[in-house]
Amino acid sequence: MSARPVLAALAASLAAVVVVGGCTSTATPQGAPGQPGPITVSASDTACDLSSATAPAGTISFTIRNAGSKVTEFYVYGAGDRIIGEVENIGPGLTRPLTVEVPQGGTYTTACKPGMVGDGIRAPFTVTGNAAAAVEGDAALAAAVQGYQRYTTSQTEALVAKTGEFTEAIKRGDVPAAQALYPVSRTYWERIEPVAESFGDIDPKIDGREDDERDPGVEFTGYHRLEKDLWVTGLQPDSAAMADRLMADVRDLQGRVGTVSLTPLQLANGAKELLDEVATGKVTGEEDRYSHTDLWDFRANVDGSQAAVAALRPVIDQRDPVLGQTLDQRFAALDALLENYRSGDGFKLYTELTPDDTKKMTEAVDGVSEPVSQVAGIIAA
Amino acid sequence: MLGNALIGLREGLEASLVVSILVAFLVQTDRRRELPRVWLGVGAAIAVSIGVVLVLTLTEQALTFEAQEAFGGGLSIIAVGFVTWMIFWMRKAARSISSELRGGLEKAIAMGPVAVVVMAALAVGREGLETAIFFFAAVQAAGSTTGPLIGFLIGIAVSVVIAYLIYRGALSLNMGRFFSVTGVLLVFVAAGILAYGVHDLQEAGILPGLYTLAFDVSDAVPADSWYGTLLKGVFNFSPQTTVLEAVVWVAYVAVVLTLFLRPVRRAVPPRSDAPAASAV
Repeated sequence: MSARPVLAALAASLAAVVVVGGCTSTATPQGAPGQPGPITVSASDTACDLSSATAPAGTISFTIRNAGSKVTEFYVYGAGDRIIGEVENIGPGLTRPLTVEVPQGGTYTTACKPGMVGDGIRAPFTVTGNAAAAVEGDAALAAAVQGYQRYTTSQTEALVAKTGEFTEAIKRGDVPAAQALYPVSRTYWERIEPVAESFGDIDPKIDGREDDERDPGVEFTGYHRLEKDLWVTGLQPDSAAMADRLMADVRDLQGRVGTVSLTPLQLANGAKELLDEVATGKVTGEEDRYSHTDLWDFRANVDGSQAAVAALRPVIDQRDPVLGQTLDQRFAALDALLENYRSGDGFKLYTELTPDDTKKMTEAVDGVSEPVSQVAGIIAA
Repeated sequence: MLGNALIGLREGLEASLVVSILVAFLVQTDRRRELPRVWLGVGAAIAVSIGVVLVLTLTEQALTFEAQEAFGGGLSIIAVGFVTWMIFWMRKAARSISSELRGGLEKAIAMGPVAVVVMAALAVGREGLETAIFFFAAVQAAGSTTGPLIGFLIGIAVSVVIAYLIYRGALSLNMGRFFSVTGVLLVFVAAGILAYGVHDLQEAGILPGLYTLAFDVSDAVPADSWYGTLLKGVFNFSPQTTVLEAVVWVAYVAVVLTLFLRPVRRAVPPRSDAPAASAV
């Protein structure tokens, strides 16, 4: 093998690294309002002055000029000092560029390190907005769906594990253990209920109530049937079989969750449905009528709603900057209210609540429901 | 001026040290005809580095930070593989000499011409991109101040002189000593390159533990001092070393140095070999 192919191979591999490795444009965006070119950083042995301490999310360019006598470095840090970008070896008298991609708004840190040591001369740097605007709307929506699907997958895994413990306790006849596990295992179910309901036939089997309408020959099965055994009638001869059926249905759900493809609109509607569930089933004490563990489900429904909204948040912020803040405030108020009813690892029983308590809860849920119901309109727009 | 000179010195040493030992080795073993391949590899690395920087500049593109670090770190780790191979290749040569099998030497150290080119190219290329970008910045600044460019070139020149002195010093050793001295030196150089590559990958977020330091002697050995520069340039010693860097450095030296120094086995090995002296 002569040297020429080697050279070609070397050059090709270098070029490949550059192409594959990721480039970022350093061209100044044309006609972008409020973007007068790169941010200049005047670095010296004792100073690190930026021409602007804020920039919109997306591609941010810096030009670092070292007017000092020491070699310096310039860093942009994210949370926990994760390096977003850095330039080393800025010798005295040199000017070097740095271009970083910052898609997420928030507080970052800039630092010059004269003499290349220590934490450097640091200053906070604010990135405004979200670069989702720069991404195509479709890409942002796809990212939202992916993020939420990761959430449902992880919750379903936990659901299978905890329901396994719950049903094992029933089959052992260990009533106290099963009673303790009942609200815990349901938490994972309630967080992803809208996804489960999208399969139509699974929800009645897992979460049906005794007085639901059923086709002739279809039994009352699932969590609430076992709840009745544990708290009202005592374990029945067929409790263990019911436990096995619940487990089979939950596994069936897990198999299907992996294949479901949600739409962004389903996420938005799901967030709203979860809050409706709270209003109709939890605040009324209807859902867990035998065990009175409604507040566990309440908390889980709110969690699920928050997760769906959080996944859609970049798109929401892009299309309506105010709504996100409203959502944050209302969810925070609801969270704070629910915290008042904590008891040990769990919550107070529904029977311990006064009419005044449920009134406050209704108001807080309605407060969240109102902005959440606007999300679907924004997503569909 | 001094700062830029030290940068040139450091980058130059990082690139030229392995090359100077490689050249000394080829000269020592009467293989001068391989030398053009060394310069070909060096030239290719320089040309590609400058070419990439020019293309990026002209197309108004820049490598993302992660890509640049992954590139430098990845090439460093590949370079370690080649240098390690070179270390054992020297050991083989030393054995042939110590057993007075001069005729066998030619065969023992025969290596593909490709390997020579690639090794020289990697030794220079792993730092080539960063150096080319720096050089470009110095050229741009030359419009207002030529200080950085002159300083950088002085640093490069000094590094070439030092590399040449190492080359001459290596040549003045007799064959047997030459192999053991340069081999041990290369073990430490390669360990440094490996740690350096790990640090690059930590900075890029590909490996964890960037802020978990094993030690921090930046007060005693400032990174911008002349001795800090030399330590960095020759052994890639960094005053702030992460635990992961330290672990791979120690592991590499322990394994490779032990293997390199283990006694040459005789034709008929005794049944229970004496354990190799631990080099830790």
